[in-house]
Amino acid sequence: MTVVWSALAGGFMGTIVMTTMLRGAAEFGFTRMDLALLLGTAVTDNRRKAKAVGYAFHFIIGMAFALLYGGIFGAIGRASWWLGALCGIAQALFTATVLVNVLLPIVHPRIGTPETAANEIALIEPPGFLMLNYGRNTLLVTLLAHVAYGAIVGWAVRL
Amino acid sequence: MRINRYARIEDYALIGDGRTAALVARDGSIDWLCLPNFDSPSIFAAALDPTRGGTFELQPVSTFESTRRYVADTNVLETTFTTGAGCVRVVDALTLPNHGLEPMRELARSIEGVSGRVPMRWRFAPRFDYGQTRPRWHRRGRMMVAANHVEAVALSSWNAGTAVAGDGDSYGTFEMHAGDRALLAMSTAYAEPLIDSPRGDVEGRLAHTIAFWRRWTQDRHYDGPWGDAVRRSALVLKILIFSASGASVAAPTTSLPEAIGGPRNWDYRFCWIRDSNFLIDALLQLGCFDEAHSLFWWFMQATALTEPELHVLYRLDGGPGVPERELPLAGYRGSRPVRVGNSAVDQLQLDIYGGLFETAWLYSEGHHSLDRDTGAVLARVADHVCDIWRQPDSGIWEVRNGPFQFTHSKAMCWAALDRAVRLAERGELPSRHVQRWRREASAIQDFVETQCWSASLDSYTRVAGSHDVDASLLMLPTIRFPNAPRLASTVDAVNRHLRKDDFVYRYHADDGVPGSEGCFLNCSFWLVSALARTGRVADATALMERLVARANDVGLYSEEIDPANGGFLGNFPQALVHLALIEAAVAIGSRS
Repeated sequence: MTVVWSALAGGFMGTIVMTTMLRGAAEFGFTRMDLALLLGTAVTDNRRKAKAVGYAFHFIIGMAFALLYGGIFGAIGRASWWLGALCGIAQALFTATVLVNVLLPIVHPRIGTPETAANEIALIEPPGFLMLNYGRNTLLVTLLAHVAYGAIVGWAVRL
Repeated sequence: MRINRYARIEDYALIGDGRTAALVARDGSIDWLCLPNFDSPSIFAAALDPTRGGTFELQPVSTFESTRRYVADTNVLETTFTTGAGCVRVVDALTLPNHGLEPMRELARSIEGVSGRVPMRWRFAPRFDYGQTRPRWHRRGRMMVAANHVEAVALSSWNAGTAVAGDGDSYGTFEMHAGDRALLAMSTAYAEPLIDSPRGDVEGRLAHTIAFWRRWTQDRHYDGPWGDAVRRSALVLKILIFSASGASVAAPTTSLPEAIGGPRNWDYRFCWIRDSNFLIDALLQLGCFDEAHSLFWWFMQATALTEPELHVLYRLDGGPGVPERELPLAGYRGSRPVRVGNSAVDQLQLDIYGGLFETAWLYSEGHHSLDRDTGAVLARVADHVCDIWRQPDSGIWEVRNGPFQFTHSKAMCWAALDRAVRLAERGELPSRHVQRWRREASAIQDFVETQCWSASLDSYTRVAGSHDVDASLLMLPTIRFPNAPRLASTVDAVNRHLRKDDFVYRYHADDGVPGSEGCFLNCSFWLVSALARTGRVADATALMERLVARANDVGLYSEEIDPANGGFLGNFPQALVHLALIEAAVAIGSRS
């Protein structure tokens, strides 16, 4: 059970840091990506409610990934901050190429896709490959935020 | 019908699917299409270079005459070819997705024998990357396939002859008897495999496309005058909206020239901030609430990276970078250079701030409340307007010899702060800086009244201290700039100095770009609106009647018209002209 609780604790801290970094990057003009808005608008088109729901989703997802990290560390029999950081890099690349770019628009009723035509109305522009539609620095910001998240989870997990 | 192998601009009609659009000439050739999106490289660009650009011809073998119309209330084009031996009808559409496995983009050309016996021919000549790459053909089942890196196009034909490939083209001939039906379908793929649809699926999508457009048109609410022209304009605007993001291209083409043989050739496949407030207004007027909602969301997303500064234009995906370069194409009737990208993006154009706030105001008036984050962003932009309105800029016409103190730009900054105050009074914006916004709005008004008024002209002037007028001043009544007597005399001055017959030049001053230009059609419709808004409804109505008659045979307008011969000039069709038409019809309708 130690691994589960330590992973959840690491996931909580890591998600706080990652969310802060992503929001800060948007506020400082590095990216137009707003993860809370992207996630929350899957259930509502009210922007204010969407952000609240989105942050909740993001925390749940952050905890779930932390458990997955814990499972990986348990399987290989070691955990460290740099192993976590490596997992964070892999997760960031998966997020930028597949998760947000391909999978999220498929299940999200308000994000446009390359197939969206005149008979549909999209409210949110598609992220594009590596989420570059949201600004040239989006990949870098995503990568750094996930490395920080992974390093914190890796540091927190006790096998 | 063609001049040195170039179709006249007014001989084109537009088909589209909300992702990209094609120009279909009166002789059945498709001479412009970019894939997969409006702002992607072209696959057909014969409109800019008949030799290298690529085209998709479909026409009778023998001499013919053609008439065209849109299938009622749709963006599906119907061309009827009449020859000495009989008559054939062709229906062209970029189809919309239906439920099922469909190609990424699909161009359907349905052919029907109406009477007699008509030999037909087609030539499918795609050229990838703005005419730079000739394809090699492969036959895969019934499809003729051409590929270039991750991009591929395939042509399927049913009862339209056997395809023969050679010299980068694919050809076919066939004969249509009364009652015969044939079909050509171009499917495209980008970074994915091609989809080989059976004939029934293509015909099903074509029927679905016609049904969708009819339903969409029937859902529009407009009971005012010139209903047919307004509905056609609405249909044009709908296909110029990039559905994936909600942004709208100013026109679906690049480098159709402002003067034949001249260098004023620009790429309009981007979203201009200033157009969006006209568009939101028109969308709300026509009951397109979802499209207005989507455009406003895109607007706020696109500007998030640069706010409180705004860029003049944004890419359809929301990005600000649109570097300008020249293509090695011959240009429309020798009009070079052919440009892609638009360097106007780097200019300071103060009027766009007025456009942003007018958009927010109209959106809010349309019963959509602004969320707190949007309100905070707008408040920061209003503060920024207070800081920068005194600077000279390049103005609405994007002059390249500036900057100047343009009157229109100052008036739009006044509009920005006026709307900011109103939104704050309604609780939509934080009200902390309202006093500053009021003070600066008043200072702008003083500047315009003292520095931008010419007693000798009895008019506001183009720039502070000058003695020229400018068609952009016709917008002052629309933004409700508060000096009714001066607005009316300014409209009269523009009418006197810039009008030629039914058309209005933008200005007569130097703008830093060599060459001449025609009359911008949006200025003519702005004059109609301005006349109506300043109480000259009969004059406005008479001019409107004549302008509506100047549309081409399918109701479309290009950016400009040559006042000497009535020929269309500039990118085609242009959203701003169709928006100005709607605004003019509404302005007259609300005062009749």
